[in-house]
Amino acid sequence: MITADNLVKTFTKNEKKNKKSEFNAVDGISLTVKEGEIVGILGPNGAGKTTLLRMMSKLMKPTSGMVGIRIGDEELTDEIEVKRHIGYLSNNTKLYGRLSTRELMQMLGTVYGISEEDTQKRIEEISEVLAMESFIDNRIEKLSTGQTQRASIARCLVHDPQVYIFDEPTLGLDIISSAAIIDFMKGERKKGKTVLYSTHYMEEAEYLCDRIVMIHQGRIISEGTPAELKVQTGQDSLRDVFAELIRGEGISDEQ
Amino acid sequence: MNSKVMNTKIIRTLVKKEMLDVFRDKKTVLMMLVVPIVLYPLIFIGAMQLMAFISSSMEDENYRIAVEADDEGAFIHKLSEFQQEEDETEEGGLSTEAAAKQDGVETSEQSYKITVIDADSISDYETALNEEEIDAYVLGQIQDGKMQYEVYYLSSVTNSSYAANLVMDVFDELKEDMTRQLITDEGMDVRAILEPIHYEKQDTASSEQSLGSIMGSILPFMLIVSLLMGTMYPAIDTTAGERERGTLETILTLPVTNRQLIISKFITVAVIGMVSALLNILSMGAIALYMYKIADLQTDVASFDLAKFIPAILVCILAVFAFSLFISAVTMCVTSFAKSYKEANNYITPLMLVVMFVGYAGFIPNLELTQTMSMIPVANICLLIKNMMAFKVDYGAIAVVLLSNVAYAVIAILFLSKIYDSEAILFSDTKAGLQLFEKRSNMKKGGLPTVSDVWFVVAVTMLLMLYVGSLLQVRFGLAGVFGTQMIILFVPLFLVVYTKRDFRQTYGFAKAKLTDYLGGGLIAVGMFLLNIVIATGLMEIFPESAANVETTFSGILGDNAMAALFVIAVTPAICEEMLFRGVILNSLKAKYRIFSAVAITAALFGIYHMSLVKFIPTGLLGLVFCIAAWRTGSIYPAMVMHFINNAVSVAITYYPEQLERVLPILTKTTLSVSDVLCLLGVGAALAGIGGAILWKSGSRIAGRERA
Repeated sequence: MITADNLVKTFTKNEKKNKKSEFNAVDGISLTVKEGEIVGILGPNGAGKTTLLRMMSKLMKPTSGMVGIRIGDEELTDEIEVKRHIGYLSNNTKLYGRLSTRELMQMLGTVYGISEEDTQKRIEEISEVLAMESFIDNRIEKLSTGQTQRASIARCLVHDPQVYIFDEPTLGLDIISSAAIIDFMKGERKKGKTVLYSTHYMEEAEYLCDRIVMIHQGRIISEGTPAELKVQTGQDSLRDVFAELIRGEGISDEQ
Repeated sequence: MNSKVMNTKIIRTLVKKEMLDVFRDKKTVLMMLVVPIVLYPLIFIGAMQLMAFISSSMEDENYRIAVEADDEGAFIHKLSEFQQEEDETEEGGLSTEAAAKQDGVETSEQSYKITVIDADSISDYETALNEEEIDAYVLGQIQDGKMQYEVYYLSSVTNSSYAANLVMDVFDELKEDMTRQLITDEGMDVRAILEPIHYEKQDTASSEQSLGSIMGSILPFMLIVSLLMGTMYPAIDTTAGERERGTLETILTLPVTNRQLIISKFITVAVIGMVSALLNILSMGAIALYMYKIADLQTDVASFDLAKFIPAILVCILAVFAFSLFISAVTMCVTSFAKSYKEANNYITPLMLVVMFVGYAGFIPNLELTQTMSMIPVANICLLIKNMMAFKVDYGAIAVVLLSNVAYAVIAILFLSKIYDSEAILFSDTKAGLQLFEKRSNMKKGGLPTVSDVWFVVAVTMLLMLYVGSLLQVRFGLAGVFGTQMIILFVPLFLVVYTKRDFRQTYGFAKAKLTDYLGGGLIAVGMFLLNIVIATGLMEIFPESAANVETTFSGILGDNAMAALFVIAVTPAICEEMLFRGVILNSLKAKYRIFSAVAITAALFGIYHMSLVKFIPTGLLGLVFCIAAWRTGSIYPAMVMHFINNAVSVAITYYPEQLERVLPILTKTTLSVSDVLCLLGVGAALAGIGGAILWKSGSRIAGRERA
């Protein structure tokens, strides 16, 4: 289970009019994702999705608020300890092109403190699940887009994390590649893992998510199962729900 | 304990990964291995070939000398002695050598191919020389019963110069022959007259010492450049390269502290730098050894006891290690700001120039490794190696040099971890860097210059000042000082205009109240008195550099007091203030806390005066000017303060007698205890009152800003 408690992230921006202006990219978001649950974060560009997910995966420090992970009865808040249990994937988490997937995974195993033997076993398992045997020893820069995507997933699987945080994982992928990721998330949910992810694709979110959190200008504007949201706004499709909610908040394309 | 084991394990794994990553890049391997192993020998062999070719072509060169002399062929006869025998040239140089060895005589005289051309066959020697029909023209006439020769040649043509030198040699011998003849004719002893005394130069330097002195000047520079080259590429690759490839965020997701990350990157870069430097040394050493062996076979001139160099070489290796730590950390600091290879390359070029420039220290003959010198990075390594090669061993200096390099490396790493803690730098998608290089049409109007722009302009201004400004001052004196001030005014002004910044805001052109000027004026006078004490104290500590400052200052000033007042007091009050309290302070103020902005500006103002003794007093002045500009929100009081300070200095220089009558304390060279107390007391009191006035006025401004 991962919990965000009243997260705020303030950025300082040097505006045109001399004075640096401060704005809250994330403005007081509280969120909990339980085991066996997939929660989707939806919001327009600049809503604060990436910043929120970066804070929840401890890549960024929040200006105020807390992020914690609970494994069993253990409550973790320390940056390094939390990172140990998170698998984070985004468009910006590229792989080392000059290494092979196997080398990368071996290195990660050591960094996560897994024994060499267990790492080896883990690599074999993952390679089989993601059908990577044919290219696991090739340099990553030589892989196709789909293969690279699978290698990326493999990367955040090495330490068998309890929590997955994915920032727009299917952005720009073809149907087959994104299906691989969607299937993977469903599989992990079945195993009782916690999945938090952001997307722009409404159909995907509707199909996959147990709960949807709509954010706009750094705040949660609505939250619930896809069905609940539809009832709440009186719309038929999630796309319309989204449009309706944003309209209600007043559209601002700034930032 | 367990976490410690984990720590080293993580670092080891990360280093391994970085190494793999770097070494799988062909460019790095090329730079590291191919350059030293292949390129150096190729360059050396090429250079040797070229030299051999040049000298052989010089030997083969036919010198055409036109002679017109009334000396009954004496000169031409002597010239023919220098002439190469035809058969000798055909057999080549080897036979000459063999013949010389057989005879047991050294043939010191060289032989040349010479063609004597009859002067009648050329119309005019000047055209003949210009058209290179002849290489030299010898004209001999009898004047006052003596032979008077003139040798005409063209110094711009290499062959002609050689020919002229050759002819001069011929004359030397001809003269000696004739002298001998005359002495013999007089029936006197030739030896006794020509060589009444005997003298000889004896070099007591051992062959190792002479070799060491050559190596001592070349080796440090080569080492520094090769280390720089060796670290540059991995430094870019592990910092800017990682960002460009988008793997930085990946590695940040790992349960790894920033410190572990930086240390592992640093180890990678430093190790690669060391290895590449050692390869360079080995390669150079192998070539040197090879040349030495060849020279050993050919002559018995010098033989070296290479064992004597072992301590020097060991210290060199230690120095390479220490320097690689330093240079890796520094290059990584620079490249960490860049988001791409290209950007990193741009950032690293100035660093490279500076390092290479300082690296010339080894070539400067009388530069000694003093206490201060051993703290100056790059230069200290150069001088240490130079000393070691000259068999000057000073354990204290070795320790200081090595430790200071390590200390600087540690500071740089701490700075680096600051960069890696800064989310603004790590996650920045937009360009916060140099706006100056963006398209002008994309620039938004108004606001303050970005801090990067300001740094860039400060660097350019300082460099221009250092090179152009000092030249102007030496050449044109007071007018040159004015020229320097114009550089200081216009270079930043260009930035402000070009990037369409807000003028009033950037320069702080805002109305100030009368009390602001009053407060500022009191501070300026008080500060001047305090600075008298400080300057006198500093002169006691650094007498030499103080004398230096004095002479350069009085050398520039002319006789005209009004002109000096204008150039020394009025112009800096405008130009320097507009740069320091205008562009620099206001831009920094917007980005950093006021304390840091003021401190940095004041320190820059101190450095700008380019003198160790002046740093403290001018830095303090900069500080009070900054405070005035900050508290009043206007640049004008600072300008007035600057004027007051400089004007008093000018007055002291031009009207010492008059001032001595009014305020004797200003012109004293030595201060008594009561003088010091008086100056400190009055100075502090005035500055304090002025400060209080400004502070009050500042609260008014702060209040207005808040409202």
